[in-house]
This record gives sequence, C-alpha cells and structure tokens, in this order.
Amino acid sequence: MSAQTYKRLLLGPQRPVRNLGDAVVKAGIPDGPIAVISAGWQEAEGDIDDVRELIGRPLVDIQLYRRAETLFSNDLDLHQAYRARQDRLQELQRLYRRRLRQLAIAAREMLRADGDVALVTSEQRHAIAQLRALDRHHQHNVEAIYREFENRFDAASYGPIAENASEIARTLAECQALLITGGNVVIMMNRVRLFGISGLLRDRHLIAWSAGAMLLADRIVLFHDRTPQGGRDAEILSAGTGVLPGYVFLPDANRRLRTKDELRTGLFSRRFAPDVSVTLDSGSALHFEGGKLKSVDAAQCIKRTGRLGKLRAA
Amino acid sequence: MNPNLRKLFRKGAPSNADIDAFVAGSAFPLVDGNDITFVYRGTAEAVYLRCWISGLNTAQPFQTLSGTDLWAATIELPKGSRIEYKFEIIEHGQERLILDPLNDVIAHDPFGANSVCQGAGYRRPRWTLTNPDARLGSIASAQVESKIFKDTRQVQIYVPARFRQNRRYPLLIVHDGADYLEFANLKTVLDNLTHNLEIPEMIVAMIQSPDRLKEYGADDRHARFLFEELLPLLADRYPLIDQPDARGIMGASFGGVASLHAAWRFPELCDNLLLQSGSYAFSDIGRHQRGPVFDPVARFMNEFRDKPGVPARKIYMSCGIYESLIYENRSLVPRLQSQGIDVRFEEARDAHNWENWRDRLRNGLSWLFPGPVWMVYE
Repeated sequence: MSAQTYKRLLLGPQRPVRNLGDAVVKAGIPDGPIAVISAGWQEAEGDIDDVRELIGRPLVDIQLYRRAETLFSNDLDLHQAYRARQDRLQELQRLYRRRLRQLAIAAREMLRADGDVALVTSEQRHAIAQLRALDRHHQHNVEAIYREFENRFDAASYGPIAENASEIARTLAECQALLITGGNVVIMMNRVRLFGISGLLRDRHLIAWSAGAMLLADRIVLFHDRTPQGGRDAEILSAGTGVLPGYVFLPDANRRLRTKDELRTGLFSRRFAPDVSVTLDSGSALHFEGGKLKSVDAAQCIKRTGRLGKLRAA
Repeated sequence: MNPNLRKLFRKGAPSNADIDAFVAGSAFPLVDGNDITFVYRGTAEAVYLRCWISGLNTAQPFQTLSGTDLWAATIELPKGSRIEYKFEIIEHGQERLILDPLNDVIAHDPFGANSVCQGAGYRRPRWTLTNPDARLGSIASAQVESKIFKDTRQVQIYVPARFRQNRRYPLLIVHDGADYLEFANLKTVLDNLTHNLEIPEMIVAMIQSPDRLKEYGADDRHARFLFEELLPLLADRYPLIDQPDARGIMGASFGGVASLHAAWRFPELCDNLLLQSGSYAFSDIGRHQRGPVFDPVARFMNEFRDKPGVPARKIYMSCGIYESLIYENRSLVPRLQSQGIDVRFEEARDAHNWENWRDRLRNGLSWLFPGPVWMVYE
C-alpha cells in the first residue's frame, strides 16, 4: 500500500452531532481493531466506551497520558527536565503573546485604514508580514527548546521512553487505524512527541476529531475569541505532526471564533496563508486520501476577506 | 406611577380582593425600564426605603396609595443595576427595619440579610449557580500556629476535583474566605469556572481574621503572616507552582487593602491581585473623612500613592458605582498603571456587598489565572 492511499478522516467535536460512526463507514476505513490516543482527556484517558459504541470495532487505547505519568513518577531526572522544558515553553509563549498583541493590533488598524490604496495596501501587507515573521520566529524558538529536550531524552534510545515507544509501535502495527480524540491539544502533542509517535502516524489510516485533527497539521494554532476576557489573538503553539500540511484546522470554529467579524477572521486567514484555515464544527467531516482532500461535509474555509466559504475537494 | 399600579387604581381604590390578586400576580419590586417601584402593604405611620446607595438619599419616603393599605416609592435605577435594601417601618413612633415582604430575593451577609432589587437587564450569572455537570472540589482545613499573632488560625483550603499530588497548582489566598464561601458562593464559582476550563485547577486558601478591621487595615503583622507563616505551610502541604505568577491574593473592602498592603510589603512574591471595592481611604491634604478605624489605612495609602513600587504584575480591581469608595478605587487605577502594572478595572452597577463581589469573580479570576479553555478542543 503506498503512503498516498492512507485515509485520513477529520471531524469536528462529537457533541452535539456524533458523526464518528457514520463517517468511518463512509470513508471506508478498513475493518479491524483501531488504536486510540485519548491523552487529551488526561485522567479520563481510555474512557472510550462511547467511541466503541459509535464505531462498533475493537479499540485499544495506547495510554500516552498514563504512560507519561508513570514515567514521571519513576524517573525524577526525566520529570524535572520535562517540567523545566515546560516552564521555558510557557515563558516563551508569554513573551511571544506580548509581542503578538501589539503586532495584531497594528495589523487590524492597517486593515481598517483608508486613504491612498497603494500606500494602505503596502502597509497592510507589511503589517501581516510582521505577524507571520513573529510566528515563524516563535515556532523556531519553540522547536529549539523541544529539540534540546529530545536530544537528551530521545524516544528511540532513552531506555524507559524507548520501551514504551516500542510497545506503542507494536500496538499500532496490530491495528488497522489510529483514532485521535479531542481534548487538551497541548498535553496530547507533548505526549505524542515524548514517545516519538509523529513518525508513526504517516503510514496508517487516521481518524481524528477536534484537538486530534489539529495535531495532524504542520503547526498547531491555538484560538478562541470568546474567552471570558473576550478576543485573544490566535497563537502558534508548536509544530504539529505535519501529516496533513497546508491546513489550519479549527474545531468548533463557529462557537470559538467571532466569524461575523470579518476583519478579524480575514486577518486570521491571511496570517496563516498559504495554509487554508478550515472550520471543523460539530457534524463536519473531511476525508483525505493521502494528502489529498477527497470529500468535504459541512466544513468551510475562511477566505482572505474573512468570509466563510466553500471548501472544495481536490 | 407604575403602569401596573395605575391599572389597579384606574377605577378608584381597589378592593382588598383586587389587591390580593395584584400582589399574588406581580413580582416585586415592580420594574418598568429604569423606574423601580417598591411596594409595601400594611398599616404604618411612615415607610422608607433604605438602600445605602451613594448618591441617593439614605431614606426614600413611600407614599400611601389612596384608600388602601398600599405604600409605594419609585426610584430611577439604570439598567443592569442591582441593589440591596430594606424597608423602614414607622409604627407607634417606633422604627423597625424589615426585609421586603413581597420580594423573595434575598442576599445574606455577615450582618444578616437584605432584600435584592434586580433592575432591568440584571441577570444572576449562571456560573454562580450549581452546575450538576461540574466536578466538585473539596474544602480541607488546616491550622496555622502563628508566632506573629501568637494564636492559632484556621484556614479553609479549596482543593480542586481530581487533585493529584504529582501535579503543581497555582495558589490563591482569599481574605474573608469564609464569607466569600457563604455569601459569594465562592466554592460553586470555583467549581464552575474550573469545569468550564476558564481557570486552571488551583488551590485556594481562605483565611478569616478575628479582628479584620485591625489586621486587614495595612497591618504589617498580617502581611508577614501571609508570606512567612501561611505560604510556607501551604507550600509544604500542597504541590504549588513556586513562582510569583502562579500566586494571587484577593479580598474585598478591608480585604482589598490587606491584599494590596501585603503585596506591597513583600514585592515580587505574588504577581496577581484581585481587589474588590477596596477601602482605600487617603487624603490629599488634611485628614481623611472616614473615621478612626481608617487611620492606618490612610497612612498606608498616602505612603503607597507616594511610592507605589510594583506590588504585583497584574491587578484586577472592581468596585460598585453605588458605593462611595468608587472615587478612591478610580483614583488608584492610573497610579498603578503608571508603574507599568497591568490593571483591569471594572465598575458595576451595584454597591458594597457580597453579591457584587460574587458577580465579578469570573472576570477577575479568569483574567489573572487563565484556564485551559484556550488549549482544549473537545
């Protein structure tokens, strides 16, 4: 089977619309057991009876969260290094956020500006370019921090992690597909990286919803315009697994984003272009074959104007 | 006159049966846009509305409604307002304060209870009500043997649901914690905001002073108690994040002064303050006008305004616009901002009471301690 033929099924939140079961059948995911990553649920990891009922196939949770917690309990050195890494990442994220806030304000002001079209357009482009440069700079720094940790605690060679990674690889090999649930995307991505799973995702059928879908992109973009404090500018968290490059997946977008604020969504779209910003609301589904988008159900893309538009399959 | 009352009186004085039906079918006080009409039924020599709103007369007289035992008083209250009140009944030359017999909405506080008038547009926030889906945290208790105060202090400690020793948690210290629990639904609020992922799971230590007007009034002993006795005890018992940006202090009224004062005395230990209706008495010249209990507060505030330093990195402040302290609170904001402190100030159409403070908790807590809602995509 060539890599191009692997199926990737991406869904929105499984509440209120639970389309997982139907979508799996429709996408033609081959019969057989399915491995599950539900680490984004943290302590509720493995609580997958609902999922089993929807899919009607044997499921095996590979328990990335529990494995990591056990490792941390048994390996103080690893745990301390992990905490130190997280502290650095959080500090870096805070610094990035402070810079981002000012650049995003400036970019929105430029998008509101009127006057000489050539001048305004040039300033708008430059303002957005500055945002994109900051995003690249941040992602570069984030990856440097990850690499430093991963060089020391390499999933392939650092004993305790490597043992888990081998077990996980064996389980994945015995399953027909891998399902990644929603949940806390930061925790999930950290566990995926800790056990070196990114590389194992490419050669298998994948089903993912919400946070799980976000993991598959080139970079993970955090977003929420409706927190108690109101709008906050989207942030790059880190690189994703890169299984589906060229997209930014936005779970529950119509609830989380102020989609009527076209200036805001337009900036979002242009900032992350050429990647396509795709909404994944509950009930929506994207079916990829390899990297190609084969069918779209209810998902939309955010155009550079900020309007939601039709997302076309290849 | 309120339109419903006018209708009741359109054919002259209504019968007792008509009044009974009117009372049974109405919600009191009567809200008609910005006009709020309070109604009392009974015999009296005079009736007054007591609502302790800065800017209004302390006692608003009721008028009798001709030929009946109904009394009414109308005040103008901007939309979204919430006020607490009592009726003062003068009978046989005696005054007595009572709750509004026609209004079931009551707010409690350490001094008893008041009736509550919810003006047009006010809604009690849903996150202050019990959510059956929310996991419940628990309240533990601890004793602090205080060498500073030479006594033993009880502390109640909110521990979030799914607490685990191998995690690390932010810490919030709450002045008048027992009152926040009882009168501002603090535990329910913490459970709900945690459930909604709007704040992180956190340890919340609730302290209560036996002599709050003294100890919370810019008393160095109290500041030392917080940082030299309470904080080490909590850090010993709970896995706390050992960083200033993961610590907060909160308080209302004198508790707000105590929070600010403690952070000022021990800068760089705590980055977050949540200050509600702080009793920041000060004087630009001469003596402050608030009575002797405020003397130490005014001394501190005058010194603070002169040399504020950077007591915290982020400060959320709130105050009701119907309390006289609004002026002191407003004046503090630019002084704090001038120090480079990130200040968020919220004014509410409410007064100096626990439900005002309750209603602001979501904005304050989620701003100082943003939860993982940003990171969770279900």
